[in-house]
Amino acid sequence: MVKAMQKERLSTLELPSISTAEILVMAIAALWSNKLRTALTMLGVIIGITAVIAVTSVGQGVQSATEANLQNLGADILRVRAGSVNSGNVSQGSGSATTLTWSDAQAIASQVRVAETVTAYLEQNAQVVYAQNNTSTTVLGTDTNYAAVNSITLQSGRFFTEEELENAQAVAILGATVKDDLFGSSEAVGADIRIQGQRYSVLGVANEKGAQGRDNPDEQIYVPLMNMSARLVGNNALNGIAVQGISVKVTEQAQLEAADFQMTNLLRVRHNIHPSRGDEDDFQIISAADLVETLSSTVGLFTIMVVAIAAISLVVGGIGIANIMLVSVVERTREIGVRKAVGATNRAILSQFLAEAIAISAAGGGLGVGLGVAIARIAATLFDFPFVISLWAMALGVGLSFVIGIMAGVIPARSAAKLDPIIALRSD
Amino acid sequence: MPTMIWMEDICKTYRLGEVDVPILKGIDLTIEEGDYVSIMGASGSGKSTLMNIIGCLDRPSAGHYVLEGRNLTTLSDEGLAYIRNQRIGFVFQQFNLLSRSTALENVMLPMVYAGASRSQRRKQAEVALDRVGLGDRMGNRPSQLSGGQQQRVAIARALVNRPALVLADEPTGALDTHTSHEVMNLLTELNSQGITVVIVTHEPDIAAQTHRIIYVQDGLLQREPNH
Repeated sequence: MVKAMQKERLSTLELPSISTAEILVMAIAALWSNKLRTALTMLGVIIGITAVIAVTSVGQGVQSATEANLQNLGADILRVRAGSVNSGNVSQGSGSATTLTWSDAQAIASQVRVAETVTAYLEQNAQVVYAQNNTSTTVLGTDTNYAAVNSITLQSGRFFTEEELENAQAVAILGATVKDDLFGSSEAVGADIRIQGQRYSVLGVANEKGAQGRDNPDEQIYVPLMNMSARLVGNNALNGIAVQGISVKVTEQAQLEAADFQMTNLLRVRHNIHPSRGDEDDFQIISAADLVETLSSTVGLFTIMVVAIAAISLVVGGIGIANIMLVSVVERTREIGVRKAVGATNRAILSQFLAEAIAISAAGGGLGVGLGVAIARIAATLFDFPFVISLWAMALGVGLSFVIGIMAGVIPARSAAKLDPIIALRSD
Repeated sequence: MPTMIWMEDICKTYRLGEVDVPILKGIDLTIEEGDYVSIMGASGSGKSTLMNIIGCLDRPSAGHYVLEGRNLTTLSDEGLAYIRNQRIGFVFQQFNLLSRSTALENVMLPMVYAGASRSQRRKQAEVALDRVGLGDRMGNRPSQLSGGQQQRVAIARALVNRPALVLADEPTGALDTHTSHEVMNLLTELNSQGITVVIVTHEPDIAAQTHRIIYVQDGLLQREPNH
């Protein structure tokens, strides 16, 4: 009898596999019944994914803002600043020494062939008053080339002339914000304002330009360099009119290096600096591209660092899920026994526990993406840089949370599936 | 009458540390289709182990087990899950309901694993609950039901996939006399409808309600008195 029985095909004795939707419903029901634990388990993944999304988005926003700044600063401009003076080991910052002069600027203009336009400036914070309104702003003493080199255009009036520069006339051009602060919507050109108590006549108002890194041209006032040097700051250079910086627009971008080389040599000769003697330069030459590069690499480094920390948080989150799932398998041993007793296959049990781990992780990942986007959006508004949603970062976040769920769930799910129904039913 | 259960020389040995402990020492057993059988024996006699092997919850260490003409001895885990799901309904002493699910959800559970559609599951589970007289308690969780009601939910769950065989391991062990009576009436009624019913019990008056009593002692069947 037995042998006849053994010939029977038993391969047909198989239950259909349960649909994914069915498994998901069971998994979500199980997770829902212990909401607090589920929420706490999700937290690690939420934090990790939020950090990845927010940081990559902010990083990209800052990067694109930096690139926009490059356009504003002018890629074909070299800036010479009075170099750091080291007294002892303390750097006093560039621009603090009064080693650059107006005649250096003139020498560059006449002797450096690739220098197309040269402008020098001197700046100082000052109190500016018109009628009842007063504002604290930066006053910039400069020459007639400043507007051209820095792409400043006027909405009304005119810039000062060469003659007004030479004669140190008390005239001023207002940045857009300064004009609004002092005059509101009324006419500024022709009015008299007071800068540190001295009367200046407004010649023109600049168009709005937007912040450029540290500086905001809209919050500046431009006056003739000779006037600024004589009346607003005490001139303390031994050899002429001191300036804090010289901006040089080169004939074409390809000439930046040549200009740098020629200007360095010229200024060393003029300042009597011999590197062979161990002298240090008392000036620095910086291109806009250098600044952007420095800033970009800093932002990039910062992004990598935070993403690395976020990755650690994700790993910890994954371990947290695995841990809770293992506890859950032990707690629910009897439930697993009951399910097996009524016909659950090993595969069905495996799927259910795996689905629970994936559901926790994926839900955490989804929330993390939402939260990350929200934080990036708020940061972009708050700190005024473009909001960039990085689709690949979002895809990465969601994909990563799935992978974490699978990795965290597979061991607990296998141990649940392998439980012997009799032993499982006997547990308390 | 066709044979429901045919067992030959069934042995079960557990390993406790270094020692092999034989629980079943060679059981030969035949149960006909439609029979109503109780298995009795002292605790430790092996009657529950025998029941678990009959119910495909456990595998014998040796011997042959044929259920409804199918040899289950060499069947895979998946095959055993199929038998438990489709051919056998199990009723436990401690009910073994899922505490976070309602009566209806508990009864639908075997049908989830059978791959039945949502509407089919609901319909069949409602019929099964009606059959055990709990048509009005479908939305209640086990904690909101009395012991007798919980056992009736468990019986409905055992019935929902229309099994040929219902196994009940001390089904009245956790119930008072009155509800024990109700549960036994229910099992008797199922048997009268053609389902083979096997009960493990140590109470002679419960066993007396069945048609045949099997005694297990020290892992072997005692000779049955003629009936």
